[in-house]
Amino acid sequence: MTLRKYPGDLLLLGLFLLPVVVVAPALPWGSQGWLYSLAELAGVFALSAFLLAGMLSARIPGTDPWFGGLVRLWTIHRWLGFSAFMLVMVHVLLLALATLPMSLGTSVATLFPPLSHWEVWVGWAAFLTMLVFIAPTLGFFGTLHYQNWKRLHLLSAPALVLALVHTLLLSAIAWVWWLLSALALAAIAWRKLLSPRLARKPYVVDGIDKLARDVVELRLRPKGKGIRWRAGQFVYLTPMDRSLLAGYGEEHPYTIASGSGDDELKIGIKAVGDATRALLDIKPGAEVRIEGPYGTFFENAALAQKGTGLPGEPRKQLWLAGGIGITPFVAGARDRVGNTVAQGPDACLFYLANRPERAYYLDELVRIAEACDGFEVHTHYMNEHGVITRDYLAERCPDFAERDIYLCGPPGMINHLQTLLRHEGVPAHRIHTEAFDFL
Amino acid sequence: MTSNRIAYTGFVAFVSVVLTLVVVNLVQGNPEPTAGGTAENANGETVFRLDQVVEHNHAGSCWKVISGVVYDLTEYLPNHPTEEEVFTRWCGKEATSAWLDKGNGRPHSPRAAARLEDYRIGVLEGGAPAPAPVETADSATQPATGDDRLGRMLLGLAPGNYLDGTYRGNFIDRGLIQVSLQFRLEGGRIKGMSYRHLFYRDEDYLKMDSSAELYPVLRQYQQITERLEGEPMEAIFRLYEPENVVDDIDGYTGATLRGAKVISAFRDGLNRGVYSW
Repeated sequence: MTLRKYPGDLLLLGLFLLPVVVVAPALPWGSQGWLYSLAELAGVFALSAFLLAGMLSARIPGTDPWFGGLVRLWTIHRWLGFSAFMLVMVHVLLLALATLPMSLGTSVATLFPPLSHWEVWVGWAAFLTMLVFIAPTLGFFGTLHYQNWKRLHLLSAPALVLALVHTLLLSAIAWVWWLLSALALAAIAWRKLLSPRLARKPYVVDGIDKLARDVVELRLRPKGKGIRWRAGQFVYLTPMDRSLLAGYGEEHPYTIASGSGDDELKIGIKAVGDATRALLDIKPGAEVRIEGPYGTFFENAALAQKGTGLPGEPRKQLWLAGGIGITPFVAGARDRVGNTVAQGPDACLFYLANRPERAYYLDELVRIAEACDGFEVHTHYMNEHGVITRDYLAERCPDFAERDIYLCGPPGMINHLQTLLRHEGVPAHRIHTEAFDFL
Repeated sequence: MTSNRIAYTGFVAFVSVVLTLVVVNLVQGNPEPTAGGTAENANGETVFRLDQVVEHNHAGSCWKVISGVVYDLTEYLPNHPTEEEVFTRWCGKEATSAWLDKGNGRPHSPRAAARLEDYRIGVLEGGAPAPAPVETADSATQPATGDDRLGRMLLGLAPGNYLDGTYRGNFIDRGLIQVSLQFRLEGGRIKGMSYRHLFYRDEDYLKMDSSAELYPVLRQYQQITERLEGEPMEAIFRLYEPENVVDDIDGYTGATLRGAKVISAFRDGLNRGVYSW
């Protein structure tokens, strides 16, 4: 995650620090109380992080650009969850340490008091619940099936309530916790209860174009008022077709492949799991639900340029796509045909694939390149050329290192190209990538 | 991801530390918390939680926390020299501030601190169990606070041998006798001390009614006679700091006991020699 600033960051920071600012002065910092106060402060930070992570799960369409896009929001969400987990353990250990000078017995009794002090045990219950849902997230037992992981993650709501009860029973200042937890629980309620009804828009499958053995493009038509999107954004798609072998009612994120002026919403799908494989066989007329759009893939350059304060022409662009990672660039290319959308800065696309059959959309991309000035397409086949090199890029796009660079593809390709580009002296703020493999 | 490894390592370390604490505690056989939810610290003192103290917030059972120590002051309540409410409003509470400031900006006396220790029942959990808050100001400038060696020296500098017998002495200032007293020495100890005359600013204290505004000051003078009974002669020098000898009634009257006048009258008597055998 880059450390670029976004307007929403200040809001997040304010919400995160609010409880500490309110609670810290009331703690007994005097002579020997500081360790105890530190322990409580760790608990305060932990709950703040936990509540904020809860709030960030809201995923309200249209709000994520304030925070640098949904992918960045999820990254922050993940860091907050991680921090909460670590801080809760610090909280417990510091409490044990703070009471250790009295005696070991007191220390242990502080952590494990008689059951009559149930507010402490509620805290333990919160921690254990948290452990159950966060351990798979942090990969304690390897990776988990996506939908199982998602269901397990719902335990965050009871964990949050337990942590809140624990804190309210022991804290002198309640309003700040009521405020933050109301926001967090409202966010979870929106995400799990309201948004499936309110935010998901019904679409009908208009047609299916088979691009390869395991890749299709769905053409979708809205039943009512559809969504509006920009190139590079993605949506969550939920198939509502019970005849599918798998994935009925399960949402997954997919990049939009149609240009922002298109009448149809087109989505390129590659079979990578049960649900996506089943989706290849969806029939025209089937209903799906679409929530979104999210993401700021192509906007990041504009934001970054604003950050540098440099006026003038937007930089030329270098697009590097691998496999199904071509979809945001297909949307970007389709934006360039037709008169509805501005042409945008010059772009040079390198399509990285293993062999020609795996370069889906290539014919259409070449056609667009022939029709438009300022847009070129080059291919790179791994089986033919081996791993892509700086010379391969420089021969076809001599100023590639001077451009704004967009990457989308499998992690191995991204890593290789990022190393290559850094080596060419491309600063991090000119390399844009939005990988949502963990959403 | 690195964060995953950190989280896993942190979790393992956390479980290890907590388990170590629990196991070591079991092996040591340290007193586990009792049914009442109390534990003992290393000194064998009971450790209370603040919520346990809070329950004793009335005259029928009055606990107070002073500097991290818990006191059960229920039995002392009738002896406190103020109205009951002044005392009971701090029951069940952290009362260090009231201890350090009686309401007139002055702390309780070392004498009161010594007495307080009789009521100590334990320490507060998480509190700092400080020693009883006896005044710790530099003792060099404080003659004879519970240590009468300086008093013996002062007497040693004075002329004469103090034979057993009855003595009478006066403190005279600006032409008026303010303090006149009588006492016996028996084996070098003070016995049967009494005032023959107590006068200051047109007030004849010995004729004072118990409703008089300055009556508490008379009570303090009388406490001197009670508290010097049977004490060695050098104990009179404790009156340089009268709060070490008498109760703190003066803090509420605004008047101040002048212990130095009593010392002066004592030494006048000693200088004049035995009045009667």
